[in-house]
Amino acid sequence: MELSASIVTAAKYLAAGFVMGIGSIAAAYGEGQVASHAIDGMARQPEMEDSLLRTMVIGQAITESTGIYSLIVAIMLLMVV
Amino acid sequence: MLEHLGEKLVLQLGDSNIMALDIKALIMSWIVMAIIIAFAWWLRQGLKQDVEEKPSDRLVILESLMNLLDEQFADAFESEQLKLQLFSFISTLFLFITISNWVSIVPGLSSPTQDFNIPLSFALLVFLVSHYYGMKIQGTGRYLKGFAQPYAFMLPMNLISEVAKPLSHSFRLYGNVFGGAVLISVLTAKLLPVVLPAIFQMFYGLFIGAIQAFVFALLAVSYINVAVAE
Repeated sequence: MELSASIVTAAKYLAAGFVMGIGSIAAAYGEGQVASHAIDGMARQPEMEDSLLRTMVIGQAITESTGIYSLIVAIMLLMVV
Repeated sequence: MLEHLGEKLVLQLGDSNIMALDIKALIMSWIVMAIIIAFAWWLRQGLKQDVEEKPSDRLVILESLMNLLDEQFADAFESEQLKLQLFSFISTLFLFITISNWVSIVPGLSSPTQDFNIPLSFALLVFLVSHYYGMKIQGTGRYLKGFAQPYAFMLPMNLISEVAKPLSHSFRLYGNVFGGAVLISVLTAKLLPVVLPAIFQMFYGLFIGAIQAFVFALLAVSYINVAVAE
């Protein structure tokens, strides 16, 4: 393999790793925050558990989308570029 | 190792890309439809009985399924009238996506939702339905004026956020299902091909699949609620 081509390949793998690693920090932190506050609410008002659980799942799904975007970018870097 | 994931069987009908049909996703979604229709038909046959008789197994299955759907989605709707009109649509969406995600645990089959076209088409469907109901319930003029709220110069931003909704809605489902498929095929090809993939199939195929279908349906409800209440 030529030097320039191998540099491109190395950069591709490095970038995919960084995208996934850094990109998932915020999503994981956000989902943890959502779950921790939902549990606070459930402990305070156990009768609200059902609706809190549903709202928590929606909130986590929306928070997760940044993580999913970074997954898609990483997959595109590995397979498409 | 991963080549089979992006593979498509494309039927080219014309010169442009618009006229191409993705046969693999099409066949997989037909299989899912066949499963759902056969299951519904099987349940329907169990309903033919006297009121006096002891309820049959199929009646109990049907009732618990309906209870599950009713508990999860009935409260989420904005109004009782909206629930009557859209409950069946949302439940169908949920059942179809759940079965689509679960079908990948059968060797040889892949989820139709693993192909980006299918989540995108569901998200566009939800997009159209939400705008249709927004216009129908609020009146077209008032609904369209709602995009220029609170100030007229916010119009481009509101339009961009409307376009971003179906995109993020579909990418969420696709990313989760496709990410699970990538993980499982890496495990099968590179690590232990015997026990570990089965456990991961349980987690990514069954658990995440059901959660994502649930999230997709609930987000559809909340997008429709936002459009109706704006």
